[in-house]
Amino acid sequence: MCTPAQLQMITRSGEEETEAIARVLKRSVSRRSVLTGALAFSVSSIVTRVAASAATSMDFAEVAAGVFVHQGRYELQSPQNRGDMANASFIVGDDAVAVIDTLGSAKAGADLLAAIRAVTDKPIRYVINTHMHPDHVLGNGAFKADGTAFVGHHKLARGLAARADTYLASSKNMLGDDAFAGSEIVLPTLSVDDKMTLDLGGREVVLEAQSVAHTDNDLIVTDAKTGTIFLGDLLFSGHVPTLDGSLRGWLSLIDQLERHALARVVPGHGPHAMQLPAALGDEKRYWSTVAGDVRKLIAEGQTLSEATKTAGQSERGKWAMFDQYHVRNVTAAFAELEWE
Amino acid sequence: MGLRRAMHKYSSRPIFAIAAGGGGALVALSFSANAADDDMWPSLQKEVYGTRPIIENDGAVLIDAPERAEDPAVVPITIRVPPSVKGPLKSMALIIDKNPAPVAADITFGPAAGDGGGERRMTTRVRIDTYSYVRAVIETEDGALHMVKTFVKASGGCSAPASKDADGETADLGRMQVRSFDPALPTTPLREAVIMIKHPNTNGMQMDPISRGYIPARFIKDIEVKRGDDLVFRAKTGISIAANPHFRFTYRNTDDKGLSVTANDTEPTTFTGASGQAAALSQ
Repeated sequence: MCTPAQLQMITRSGEEETEAIARVLKRSVSRRSVLTGALAFSVSSIVTRVAASAATSMDFAEVAAGVFVHQGRYELQSPQNRGDMANASFIVGDDAVAVIDTLGSAKAGADLLAAIRAVTDKPIRYVINTHMHPDHVLGNGAFKADGTAFVGHHKLARGLAARADTYLASSKNMLGDDAFAGSEIVLPTLSVDDKMTLDLGGREVVLEAQSVAHTDNDLIVTDAKTGTIFLGDLLFSGHVPTLDGSLRGWLSLIDQLERHALARVVPGHGPHAMQLPAALGDEKRYWSTVAGDVRKLIAEGQTLSEATKTAGQSERGKWAMFDQYHVRNVTAAFAELEWE
Repeated sequence: MGLRRAMHKYSSRPIFAIAAGGGGALVALSFSANAADDDMWPSLQKEVYGTRPIIENDGAVLIDAPERAEDPAVVPITIRVPPSVKGPLKSMALIIDKNPAPVAADITFGPAAGDGGGERRMTTRVRIDTYSYVRAVIETEDGALHMVKTFVKASGGCSAPASKDADGETADLGRMQVRSFDPALPTTPLREAVIMIKHPNTNGMQMDPISRGYIPARFIKDIEVKRGDDLVFRAKTGISIAANPHFRFTYRNTDDKGLSVTANDTEPTTFTGASGQAAALSQ
């Protein structure tokens, strides 16, 4: 249970505000990613800090009118972070609220809910999961209520169900019993085959199911009113990208996204908001490097084991969590590209 | 034969399925299972090799594996036999102590495998379910067994979904690639080849999201590799072999480099392939 929430709103403008955003990005790995993140912030005029309870607080930035984004930490799940290691957002319409991703535990989800309640008491009509990974879905349970639909890619239910036991067991192991308590897999009740529009009252949210890229169930969410695009884990910034789908699919999607007109995007891991197409630059370089190195090694007849030691090592030092995920990325890339 | 039994037996051992997952929440391995607790090997050795003596760590066989498996469902393992070992090898086994079916592969060699003259290698990729020793045992020409082991920190490799792209998995089942690599010097005694088979190799431990039951095991159970009429090797393979079975190996270098491969899965369906040509699927 959370104590009554506090809400502090700090209004700033211009450069002052950009600096404020940069300060919020305390966990950025490099000055460069701080700047990239800050660059995106010319639109918002408000930074919101929501103290959800005495024990925990959740920072939100209102990146566009009625669009709030919380930045997760660049960490593995731990008892301390309680699964708060991905971005989570909400959009407030005239009639209702849509939540985009719910963090990695029921408790983190409850904090998220409290933070939303500090901003609005409108009903939460939709909980949208951008894809299946635990750090984006395990807070779903905190939002179970009459009239709340859980929304995802048409392959989300299958992907989650196939991994439910593993996700729960591993999350419990990483979070510890206390932080994990109450976490559950909540399957989608509304499934997006291709494209779907949700109405929040004077505000349309467009959902587009993607082909295999980060996972086989990636969903892109667009707030039409402000032109804000939520890419989920199709966009990592600062935190090294991770591959659980198709490298070729992801690179081809990045090419498509780059052709977007200037737009504000919210990554799954990274700053609160960034600008297309620049936001994709680092991620594209990372995957192009991995793909190029792995393809070269395959052509030379080298082994997977060799690839895990050498491929993409030029990216070391440019990303947080590189040591935790890079070898696994190379393994997945090699196993995919060797069939070309 | 004990080896076969251990390979296909689904033991009643508790399976500690942790981790897997992916993306921002790819799960790290943090718990502290260790090598010392409940040593499986004495009973496993008895079951597989009976009372035959096994020489350990005499340098006749070496094993390369990552100390920590970043992806427990795709762990590369290389078994090496140094040039100092002379004569043909009779057999080779790859054993993962704590996997539910510990014997991953049981390989017997034929005349086309060669009799050394360089480092002999066999590389494959396995699933590893929990922190475990991984062993290679070879039988040399004189009938002696030689063993080496290494400890691998992994968890959840057996229950991880076979594929990241659930629809792509069945689309080209049975597709086979066979590649032979020309050595730098034509007179080198050994050359190398790789066999890749598109196959989910389901092990009976992955969840079917629709039925909420387990997907029935369907895996490649034997592979025969020949050059002309001569056997290179025949492998009995189990559920510990990773999806899309992959074998890379040395064999005798001659001008005739064409390899033909026949693999059977548990359906049974037969898959065939050859180096330098497209793969074919025959029922």
